[in-house]
Amino acid sequence: MVDLWQGYAWPGLVIVAQIFAILVPLLLTVAYLTYAERKVIAAMQMRKGPNVVGPFGLLQPVADGIKLLFKETVIPSGANRVVFIAAPVVTFVLSLIGWAVIPFDFGVVLSDINVGILYLFAISSLGVYGVIMAGWASNSKYAFLGALRSAAQMVSYEIAIGFVIITVLLCVGSLNLTDIVLAQKDLWFAIPLLPMFVIFFISALAETNRAPFDLPEAEAELVAGYSVEYSSLTFALFFLGEYANMILMSALTVILFLGGWLPPLDVAPFNWIPGPVWFAVKIAGLLFLFLWVRATFPRYRYDQLMRLGWKVFLPASLFWVVLTAGVLVATGWAPV
Amino acid sequence: MIVQALTFYLFAGITVAAGVMVVSARNPVHSVLFLILAFLNSAGLFVLMGAEFLAMVLVVVYVGAVAVLFLFVVMMLDINFVELRQGFLQYLPIGGLIGLILLVELVLVIGAWVVAPDAAATIAEPMPAPERMTNTHALGLILYTRYVYLFQIAGLILLVAMVGAIVLTLRGREGVRKQRIAAQVRGRREERVELKKVPTRGGI
Amino acid sequence: MPVAVPELMPALPEIFLASAAMALIMFGAFRGEDSTRTVSWLAVLALVVAAIAVPVVTQSRVTTFAGLFVTDAFAVFMKELILLGSALAIIMSMGFNEREKIARFEYPILFLFATLGMMLMVSANDLIALYLGIELQSLSLYVLAAFRRDTVRSSEAGLKYFVLGALSSGMLLYGCSMIYGFTGTTRFDVLAAMFAGVDGAEVSVGLIIGLVFLVAGLAFKVAAVPFHMWIPDVYEGAPTPVTAFFAAAPKIAAMALFIRVLIGPFGDLADQWRQIIIFISIASMILGALAAINQTNIKRLMAYSAIGHVGYALVGLAAGGEIGVRGVLIYMAIYLAMVLGTFCCILCMRVHGRMVEGIDDLAGLSKTHPMVALALAIFMFSMSGIPPLAGFFAKIYVFFAAIQAGLYTLAVIGVLSSVVAAFYYLRIVKLMYFDEPVEAFDRPIERGMGVILAGTGVFTLFFFAYPGPVLNSAAAAAAALFAG
Repeated sequence: MVDLWQGYAWPGLVIVAQIFAILVPLLLTVAYLTYAERKVIAAMQMRKGPNVVGPFGLLQPVADGIKLLFKETVIPSGANRVVFIAAPVVTFVLSLIGWAVIPFDFGVVLSDINVGILYLFAISSLGVYGVIMAGWASNSKYAFLGALRSAAQMVSYEIAIGFVIITVLLCVGSLNLTDIVLAQKDLWFAIPLLPMFVIFFISALAETNRAPFDLPEAEAELVAGYSVEYSSLTFALFFLGEYANMILMSALTVILFLGGWLPPLDVAPFNWIPGPVWFAVKIAGLLFLFLWVRATFPRYRYDQLMRLGWKVFLPASLFWVVLTAGVLVATGWAPV
Repeated sequence: MIVQALTFYLFAGITVAAGVMVVSARNPVHSVLFLILAFLNSAGLFVLMGAEFLAMVLVVVYVGAVAVLFLFVVMMLDINFVELRQGFLQYLPIGGLIGLILLVELVLVIGAWVVAPDAAATIAEPMPAPERMTNTHALGLILYTRYVYLFQIAGLILLVAMVGAIVLTLRGREGVRKQRIAAQVRGRREERVELKKVPTRGGI
Repeated sequence: MPVAVPELMPALPEIFLASAAMALIMFGAFRGEDSTRTVSWLAVLALVVAAIAVPVVTQSRVTTFAGLFVTDAFAVFMKELILLGSALAIIMSMGFNEREKIARFEYPILFLFATLGMMLMVSANDLIALYLGIELQSLSLYVLAAFRRDTVRSSEAGLKYFVLGALSSGMLLYGCSMIYGFTGTTRFDVLAAMFAGVDGAEVSVGLIIGLVFLVAGLAFKVAAVPFHMWIPDVYEGAPTPVTAFFAAAPKIAAMALFIRVLIGPFGDLADQWRQIIIFISIASMILGALAAINQTNIKRLMAYSAIGHVGYALVGLAAGGEIGVRGVLIYMAIYLAMVLGTFCCILCMRVHGRMVEGIDDLAGLSKTHPMVALALAIFMFSMSGIPPLAGFFAKIYVFFAAIQAGLYTLAVIGVLSSVVAAFYYLRIVKLMYFDEPVEAFDRPIERGMGVILAGTGVFTLFFFAYPGPVLNSAAAAAAALFAG
């Protein structure tokens, strides 16, 4: 009995507690990311944004959430029910399980696996299923077109992302996220690999279907893309999933290029601040970039989007992989 | 240990069940989705075996790329698979017979199974101890040294597949206007803009 | 960590060919469709360079890439034949493709990749290398079969070839995995050492099943009965120069692989595989002789003729030993010349700019095109094995080998089926010389085609006068296989 408690139950409880410790702040962040988005864009457009519910409109996300919860879940009569319901669940779950391997500080990670970066890459490549299942199961042409666009877009940009990740891995010599962060102790990879950083960030925009690559849900042409038939809780899951994905991609960018939890300089005022705070600040900065881009740029045309992915990013990142490998071998800096 | 065994049976059971469903599902899209489920659970089995690299690559390549294209095709094709299955029963006897023969052969083979006495000596490269290197590292070391030849041929095969796909399907359509970004960027102000002095009350 | 670079010299022709093919892709992609003729000639040049390099880099038996790749006199002989066949097939294709409006720069590049795959097959020294070589070759061939993508027949040919080829690859792989499972190795050298001096009856039944599957897969690639069902449709549907290529180079490569696998690692298990080879050889010879009689399409006729010829070549393999292998090598060399020449004649069958493929269209050819008729007559006589043409010697060497090995039945059946097959070969000669002409074929014949026709015709006709080079190098090649 003691064995059972010590061997299984207690560690299991600890893990569940850890999961909650990650998920609750994450979902709060998602809620307030929507608030921040509206406020930031409002400010850029010289408007006020939400300001009625609570002080400065701070309770707006809560009000939105409650509204969505209490609406009726409408399932179209022509829809494939099981897949229709499964799609938002898949999207939501996938946006959460990626956090299992994200290190918030040295050793502060739920699961420190050897192939952390591959795990994240695999999770992000699965993201396309939620979209494509939703589009197909809705039995609606707008939804299906949106899903097709989205799937093609995500698959295309994933390749560039993969090559960018490989350049970083070449410099690190490990697939473990903690190792990747520690390898940036002296110099963040954003500096030597600046072009890759830019490509990664833009691909992350495309991968999360954010402006200016938000064609899958282009209101003007496709009503709302793959989520057009969704309402209430199912829509809320999509919504949460997309924003959680934005945060996950930002976290990944921070880990790969901006030194994770490390302070910019390892000197007095900086290293007083704890690692998780640095990590959060960096993520917040990147999220601000996401919003800023949305407020600034018009939407891409679809052929331009594909051209950018296949004819610009793919060759550029491939070239950079070769260049990085060549430099590392020639100078003997390659990690063993 | 018991948790590991339970996890194994969970993954293995779902894999087998999903495999059965791939074949028996009436809706082809459901078949593909079950196929994906089977892939994911196989990845789980790989993780249990300690082959984490293979597990992740299985997910990235098969689930993330191959199955997406599958799903695309199946969703767009709109084939009535029930109709396709009409002839199934007709071929059941001969198919069953071949299956039976193979089964008997397999049983024969397994009955006669002996490990060759010098098999251990012929194994090309002994596996390094897991604590010494991760399996990603080990795979990379062997793939790019001992098996570089096979690796390169595999690359060539993929190249041929790509060339073949393009040759057989790419058609230059008439009357399509393409955007030439280089030409647009190269354009100079003088070619695009003409400044005219408009006289007051005169119009152009 | 410093890594030793493997010895690249022995594989230099292959590396060169791969690089050349990739460079030509870039060239073609940037220059556009009007570069097809340039790319074709450059591809021929690459093949010629490779053909020069092959004997230069191979002085004796060498293995490289951790023993996965082997080159020896046998490989040199087969590779030269393959390179020759590919180069001639590209030259034969150029005019045809331009007339049929399927001239695209990828065509010669796919030829290069297919040829590369065949060279890798010939040099395979490992089951995985064998499989990958076959796949590289087959994948290129599937695409080539469907190259005329706007016609149903060509697409059908490509698809059939692909589906059945995939099936045969599956069998081959299944066999390989069984062999690996029961021996723990995929290396030919190790397998050969393992079986050296072993009594065939003692090896486990699983290994034998693996061997059977392996042989079935290879028999599929050479289109021997009962794995021949793809070949008539593919021959008929594929564009004619592609058919010519199919008939020449891949046959040689697959036969080389057959010999390499069965004589090398499984040489000491000859008693186990010989009966299979004898069976498929007899079945191929008989079917090739009988099924061709009713054909009205010349390409289908050539398909059945090819089945028959594979049967004759396999007689040599069944006989085994140095003499048997030498017979197969000589057979393949002479077959290459005959089949390429015949397809040159078929490519000349054009009425008012349109290809015709009926055997009846050949009627009265001697009056309208005496030279083409003469050449075709030579090839037909030679294929039916009438002395003193080359085809006669080809058959003589394999039948002698069979008799020396004590396989009298095989030799007798071979001779009998040759007699039956002579019926349809001679029918073509009769049509050309004794029937009234229908419509004359278009003139003039392309210069490149004429040169190939003359060359192969002279080789076939005067082989008896100066057979030395072919006989000697075939003997050396066969000896190299048994030296190690």
